[in-house]
Amino acid sequence: MHFKFIRTIARQEWSSVFRNKTTLVLFLVLLAVSLLAVFTGWQYVGKFNAQQAAASSEVHEQWMSQPNRHPHRVAHYGYLVFREKSPLSFFDFGLDSYVGNSVFLEAHRQNTVNMSEAGFSNGMLRFGELSMAMVLQLLVPLFIIFIGFQTVAGLKHNGVLKILLCQRASYPDVLAGKTVGLTAVTWALFLPLLVLGLIAGVASTPGAAVTDLVLRIVLIVVLYALYFLIITLMVVVMSAMSSSDKNALMLLVLVWMLFFVVLPKSAQTLGSSLFEAPGKIAFERAIEAEVSKEGDSHDPNDPHFANLKARTLKKYDVDSIQLLPINYGALVMQEGENITAAIFNKHFDQLIGTYQSQNAVSAIFGFADPFLAIRNISMNLAGTDFDSFTAFQKQTELYRFEKTKRLNEIHLTQVSFANNATQRVNAKNFQDMPDFVFRPVSVGRNLAASAASVIALVLWVVAGFAVLHFVSSKRKYQL
Amino acid sequence: MTFKMLEAKGLTKRYGSHTALSNLNLSIRTGEIFALLGQNGAGKTTTINLFLGFIEPTEGSASIAGISVAEHPQEIKQYLAYIPETVMLYPNLTGLENLEYFSSLAGFDYGAGELRKFLSTAGLQAQAFDQRLGGYSKGMRQKVGIAIAVAKKAKVLLLDEPTSGLDPKASNEFSQIIQTLASGGTAILMATHDIFRAKEVATRIGIMKEGVLQAVIDADKISANELESLYLKTV
Repeated sequence: MHFKFIRTIARQEWSSVFRNKTTLVLFLVLLAVSLLAVFTGWQYVGKFNAQQAAASSEVHEQWMSQPNRHPHRVAHYGYLVFREKSPLSFFDFGLDSYVGNSVFLEAHRQNTVNMSEAGFSNGMLRFGELSMAMVLQLLVPLFIIFIGFQTVAGLKHNGVLKILLCQRASYPDVLAGKTVGLTAVTWALFLPLLVLGLIAGVASTPGAAVTDLVLRIVLIVVLYALYFLIITLMVVVMSAMSSSDKNALMLLVLVWMLFFVVLPKSAQTLGSSLFEAPGKIAFERAIEAEVSKEGDSHDPNDPHFANLKARTLKKYDVDSIQLLPINYGALVMQEGENITAAIFNKHFDQLIGTYQSQNAVSAIFGFADPFLAIRNISMNLAGTDFDSFTAFQKQTELYRFEKTKRLNEIHLTQVSFANNATQRVNAKNFQDMPDFVFRPVSVGRNLAASAASVIALVLWVVAGFAVLHFVSSKRKYQL
Repeated sequence: MTFKMLEAKGLTKRYGSHTALSNLNLSIRTGEIFALLGQNGAGKTTTINLFLGFIEPTEGSASIAGISVAEHPQEIKQYLAYIPETVMLYPNLTGLENLEYFSSLAGFDYGAGELRKFLSTAGLQAQAFDQRLGGYSKGMRQKVGIAIAVAKKAKVLLLDEPTSGLDPKASNEFSQIIQTLASGGTAILMATHDIFRAKEVATRIGIMKEGVLQAVIDADKISANELESLYLKTV
């Protein structure tokens, strides 16, 4: 390989792309779409978070203004927790629109996270929202196809390639130069746009962790750069393998459809058929069935609770629950809470495992489709992935459990069994309880979760260069 | 003193059961113009592609300046220049820019003055140098192709139907230019349908039919009419 020739060819590719008016028109269209996506995404996320913050503040106010009450009533009064969008969710909506945004926390019940935007919107949302990530993942590859399909095939078709190859530059030099030139064009047009879009969006999100965000932005930019390189390698290889520019365009459009429509849908379908997840009703029934098997606190003859009663009476050396120094009703409620929480967590972990298996199919498909790989990585780094959502669910359930446990402790120690129906406790008891604060998934954990996709992307780059080398060594692809 | 610049020994190319070129034995010396006449599919372009190294021979060998094309495809490029039937190059670049680009890929970094001189040598009008190639006539584009060969200081020139589609004046200019190049020592292999142009410029003429070189004639020992009769009888 001659780096001087590669540089010369790359420079020529660069200037010929920019001399083409169609390229500029296409870029301007994509620029407008990207800016629109960033602006609407940023505006939407900002408005959404403001609404959530207002609702959250209202819920907090209501909680704090409760009068003196029985703690069990407070436990059933409940508390609404809202899921705030991640600072980078304006860039990649990921699963955000399809998963719930708020959960009602109350004693004895593990409510699901409700109110997804998809549930309230028309079909357009399911058709696909306009996010900057979508533009970069789906439309930029089309841009690369349109500027690059004739890069080698066109030269073959009009005989220029033969003249070019009669100079001292070799076919590997030509293909490498074309790849460098087209990659430089794509990087120069879209990476600064990506960086500016991310920085502008994040700058308008106060309170975000700067180091974490900077790391995420750097990773997003580097990995999208790799993704564009992969698409460029693919375009150059297919252009070099085609006998005419028309054939190259047809082949590349077919590949685009395969990568961006057929394989993603197939991965999704295969994943859900291999690892079938229970529906909401089946999931809740399975938990109910196991809870009733474990013990019914309302049944005086239930062995589990009869045993609890016997142990408690023995512990305090009394022969009736009325003589206990604690409120036995609260003890029973906490025991019921322990049982249902353990069963729920077990079933929930199984459900998460099923969804993770489904997602793993998609991650494996990333080795056959770079779009799936970048889609997974992008969602993870934007904090709009499945892990971020399950982290919210798990944290809210833990918060619910701890809050209920605390209320049961108040009930246990501050409300007498005899006055159970009428006694109230001071509201300060509830006001002192900590608020729910979501701890986002760390960038390290996000990256670990998308390790397969990152490896797939790197392998795509290596494979792209290997195929480019193979094609450049074959004489049949020079004519 | 002349040297064999192009040589084919038992050169054969088969595609499955079809023989595109059969047992070609040929040598072209410095300063010689060899015209290959023949109908479409006679094996003329296959011969050129074998010398260019774009296809591998099934049997035999092709060499340029004594170097095997099959064994050293990159090394032979320093001697070679090729002009196809239609020189397209880059329509968005000017004639001068095209020449600069191809020359740099041949390993030469010429200044604008030298590049203009090469274009003049190839017969291109000065006012066209800075115009985009997209606006050139076919004859003008052929001249840029010649300038590329001249700038490269090619010792061997392979021409595939170079005068096809040119008007008589452009065709005549082209003939004069390649004769000038030959007189400077360039060995030229020209595939053509044009019997009269072949007779006018070539040193020797070969007639091909179905992949076989049927006859080789010294151009100065045959008249145009006799060549035409022989061609028609052969093909």
